[in-house]
Amino acid sequence: MDKLLKSLNLPSLGPSDESFEEIFEQLRLKYPEGEDPWGLNLERARTTLQYIWPLYQNYFKVRVFGKENVQDEPYMVTSNHSGQIAIDGMLISTAFAVEIDPPRILRSMVERFFTALPWVGTIAAEGGAVLGDRQNCLNLLSRGQSVLVFPEGVRGVAKNTIDFYKLQRFTRGFFRMSLTTQTKVLPVAVIGAEEIFPWVYHPRKLAKVLGLPALPLSPLYLPLPSPVDIIIGKPYSMPDLSPEAHDKEIDYHIDQIRNIIRNLTNEGLKNRRPFFANKKEGEE
Amino acid sequence: MKESDIKSVLIIGIAGGLAKITAGLLLKSFPHAKIIGVDSRPINPVIRHDNIEYRQMRYTRGNFEKLFRDKEFDAVFHLGRMSHADTSPIGTMEQRLDLNLMGTRRILDLCLKFAIKKVVILSTYHVYGALSDNPVFINEDHPLRASIKYPELRDVVEMDQIATNWMWKNQKDIETIVLRPCTIVGPQIKNTMTRYLVTPYAPVCADFNPMFQFIHEYDMASILRDSLTKLSTGIYNAATDECISLKAAKEILNRPTTPIPSFVLSSTAKLISTSFWRFPRYLIDYLKFACIIDNGLLKSQLGQDAFRYKTREALLLSKLD
Repeated sequence: MDKLLKSLNLPSLGPSDESFEEIFEQLRLKYPEGEDPWGLNLERARTTLQYIWPLYQNYFKVRVFGKENVQDEPYMVTSNHSGQIAIDGMLISTAFAVEIDPPRILRSMVERFFTALPWVGTIAAEGGAVLGDRQNCLNLLSRGQSVLVFPEGVRGVAKNTIDFYKLQRFTRGFFRMSLTTQTKVLPVAVIGAEEIFPWVYHPRKLAKVLGLPALPLSPLYLPLPSPVDIIIGKPYSMPDLSPEAHDKEIDYHIDQIRNIIRNLTNEGLKNRRPFFANKKEGEE
Repeated sequence: MKESDIKSVLIIGIAGGLAKITAGLLLKSFPHAKIIGVDSRPINPVIRHDNIEYRQMRYTRGNFEKLFRDKEFDAVFHLGRMSHADTSPIGTMEQRLDLNLMGTRRILDLCLKFAIKKVVILSTYHVYGALSDNPVFINEDHPLRASIKYPELRDVVEMDQIATNWMWKNQKDIETIVLRPCTIVGPQIKNTMTRYLVTPYAPVCADFNPMFQFIHEYDMASILRDSLTKLSTGIYNAATDECISLKAAKEILNRPTTPIPSFVLSSTAKLISTSFWRFPRYLIDYLKFACIIDNGLLKSQLGQDAFRYKTREALLLSKLD
């Protein structure tokens, strides 16, 4: 792989083997057995990360802003969802493993069908992904793990081109779980992932008839090298609220978090790098 | 149950390795208790002691009734669940249903009739099922989904349900413990999973690598012993804190594997299990998806040091065989 990349004369491949070794040295202290009950496998995670890293750095040219907002404590990392096939999740996880100190394996919550997929499900689990189940999430947070959630769900990732960067409704579950475990919510906005597949239409009724979660129609199924920015906001101050509080009380905070992510998104849209499929400002 | 109340104990399924170790521990912990071990299979009495008596007998109501009448037991261990792999492929379902369901029912009714103080029933974590959408750390309240996909596990699930329903119904009159252990390993244990683990070149799924918990036979026998005096009526998962992937477990045991895509493995499982190598079809799913159980409730009653061996140590020790 390294030889192939060198022959392509691409710019630097980012962290050297030594840096990766340093990162995983720190992670080994956290996972001394090299594995965890959710199927994480540090060695496999490292291999996967080393394959993803050139794409992260040279193809999607990811920039991370707000690293200083991340402290050495568990978070409920809460992001907008985009990019049709959840590439955003992969990029956020890579950022938290490689670019943020101390490195951490973010536990992405994945859809139920995903864990049943041969190879893909296992590779994802070995890299840290876990089934998006309430009990799973609570168990992870109570064991000091940071969890990555997309409260928009499939509605967020599977958007038509005209809806790009329009935040969908947030579900409440993630916030109730944060309250239960007293874990801070860390808002994150991802800019640029929408244009990885710039022209998409979702025939939702047909997808429903076929029993599919989404059916993206596009003239192009190759992920484009849209430059991606990951913007990390300040941790949301957790209120003194019961996890079983009424929806009305929860909704207030959900709206606050949604607004923070919307503001981060709008800021990011102003500063993004040129790419031919980018929407013009004010087009929203 | 007080220690002084334990004078006479019945162990059903004494031919099994776990039952023998449990009997040994009971003899040591309760030196004045008399133990009767029964089994329908031939018994190899490894423990010789004045306080233990072995009986090979058919599991009929008449035989059990006579035994209960003659011996006046204080506690009963039902460890005689018929495994899926030890039986002939012909007529297995009928035999298993009779023993696991009807047999369990008969034994429980006799326990009530003869005023037994404590009943301990060994179920299995298989009742939860190995499903792709299992959360990690399944607690005792989780639905038992094993028979949804595999009707051949019906008896295992129903036996557990018979026991737990009976337990709650009669909790005022009799203390009952239902234990759901993870895979038990050790030199004395010869179940389907341990045989699979030590078989060189046994197939593993190339596309899945589920996590497992392994409890050492000594730890499991200790839990069974302690359930007499330290556990109150209820259902308890019994598993270590640590987990290990199937492939890592095979590496620890130093057994090479044959990676095969799961769809090939599933389609050939039927053929394999009826010819040269018996491997229950439902176990293929346990080689694909994890079923990790939560031991919090058990540890809350037995203490944090309930386990002497960790998962990896349990595996290493079973290698000594």
